[in-house]
Amino acid sequence: MKNKINVYLIEYAINAILRQKSKSFFIVFVFTLLTFLLTSVFFITNSIRYELDSTVDTLPQIIVQKIKAGRHYDIDVDAVDNILEIAGVSDAVARVWGYYYFANAGVNFSVVGIEQYENQYKNSFDKIASKFDLSEIDSKVSMVVGHGVKETMHDSYYKEYFNFIKPDGTLKRVNIAGVFEADTQLESNDVIVMSKDTIREIFDIDESKATDIVVKVANPEEIPMVVSKIKLIYPDTRIISSEDLKVSYQNIFDYKSGIFLALFIISLFTFFIIIYDKSSGLSSEEKREIGILKAIGWRVDDVLKEKFYESFIISFFAYTLGVGFSFAYVYIFQAPILQNIFVGYSQLKTSFELPFIFDLQTLFLVFFLSVPIYIAATIIPSWKVATLEADEVIR
Amino acid sequence: MIELKNITKTYELNKNDKVVALDNVNLTINEGELVVLKGASGSGKSTILSLIAALSKPTSGEVIVDNKKISKLPDNFASVYRRDNIGFIFQKYNLIPTLSVKENIILPLVPLNPPANEIVEKLDRVAKMFNISHKKDAIVRNLSGGEQQRVAIARANVNDPKILIADEPTANLDEKLSLNFIEILRELKALNKTIVIATHDPLFFDLDFVDREIQVHNGKIIL
Repeated sequence: MKNKINVYLIEYAINAILRQKSKSFFIVFVFTLLTFLLTSVFFITNSIRYELDSTVDTLPQIIVQKIKAGRHYDIDVDAVDNILEIAGVSDAVARVWGYYYFANAGVNFSVVGIEQYENQYKNSFDKIASKFDLSEIDSKVSMVVGHGVKETMHDSYYKEYFNFIKPDGTLKRVNIAGVFEADTQLESNDVIVMSKDTIREIFDIDESKATDIVVKVANPEEIPMVVSKIKLIYPDTRIISSEDLKVSYQNIFDYKSGIFLALFIISLFTFFIIIYDKSSGLSSEEKREIGILKAIGWRVDDVLKEKFYESFIISFFAYTLGVGFSFAYVYIFQAPILQNIFVGYSQLKTSFELPFIFDLQTLFLVFFLSVPIYIAATIIPSWKVATLEADEVIR
Repeated sequence: MIELKNITKTYELNKNDKVVALDNVNLTINEGELVVLKGASGSGKSTILSLIAALSKPTSGEVIVDNKKISKLPDNFASVYRRDNIGFIFQKYNLIPTLSVKENIILPLVPLNPPANEIVEKLDRVAKMFNISHKKDAIVRNLSGGEQQRVAIARANVNDPKILIADEPTANLDEKLSLNFIEILRELKALNKTIVIATHDPLFFDLDFVDREIQVHNGKIIL
């Protein structure tokens, strides 16, 4: 019986909130906005990190690029045979790829060449190989495109084919055979896959040359050894291991996260200003009300319970609203404005979808950063007043 | 029933400025007695009421009610004592202006979390007794001074306290409303409640149902 919830106290708390309509509305508005910002930042960061981790997992173990005068040049395809002879190397493939600038939308697409007889180095490309008949792609001069590429081309009325402009100024028509399905949006969104022959024609790359060579090592522990051996044979190359790429991707991610961190700090700072303002004292009306309640027989804990209900209702309501809006903003509307900070990998502007990551930790973190702090900021000044002599407070 | 023994109450305005509100006051009020404390503003009448209601503690001396030293009660026990024993009618009513009449009257019952029917029963009883039933849903700030006072009296009686305390109850009322209040007092006295009133309103002097008039002057009781 003693533990029965006092509905009259809850009713009084709700009335207290409704009595101060404009003040309560302002608090709910600011609280919701801050919760929304914080949660959105966390949701976007989580989604991007998930994308990044998935991307890093599919990176080639070693990439060999020819360097001349500090710049990246096409490498001789013959080098593949020599690399395959190095102990520990299980596969080596000459890649033909490049960036194609799509002037209509002002974006770059990554154009990648694959051949059906090669062992593919990416799981995602394996999916293409199983889904499409590569020989048909080759014979019909077709391509498979990422979702972002498809949308961008559709916007410019290229629905069935696209005319690539070759270096000599002539056009190369390539049919759109399908849409690329890959594990990660970040990686696949701006990608166009076609046969190596077609790519060579579009970018004017000779049969004996490739953009780079990717190397697979059976035992990942042996990667540093294989890297040093390739360097010995081809001193004019830059050799990038998957570890180097991970660091590079991580740096980009950390840089972008820094912007979000700044937003996060600003949000938190604003929140604490409100909290400081609230905890610095009660208005004379609020003090008087506590004094009256004490004078008519309310105990200190009755007053504090009522204040707890009042602050919990207002802050939890605002928290729920903020989180709800954040879910809708990030996962339904795909975080317009904020997401643009992250779009831009490889100087691309093509859109990508934030994957839905349900992270209970994030929800708890935002909850503990906001609701209990607000409750404490409400209860502490009330407690200070409630423990004074009622007579003194009323006077 | 109520006993003030050697009571001194000093208010400290700042480090060098102290005001002696009560100076070695001794007073006994019997059960069912109606006592009027007379005196000018600042004489110490309200301080006596505040001590009896355990709204403040004496600097020295003891306040004993029903053989219990209420001046030594910890804060939470003092609240419970007030809730169970005291009905206080404040000079400025001390109602919560944005709440309705009904909500103001039942405020002392809220922490007790009684069954809904008990609340309704108690509310109806006092609202009817003090002629405020027709305004139960009105917001207090929209009421006249006399109506607000009736709400304050109803709230003070909702717990059916043994002791009723009124501090300058007619200070904000015209003569007609003051006379109404005196009639209400007469009815409460008939219910055998112990009533202590602090006032300097001459309307309270020489009333037939008042048991004693006590003069307070400069923090002392003048016999």
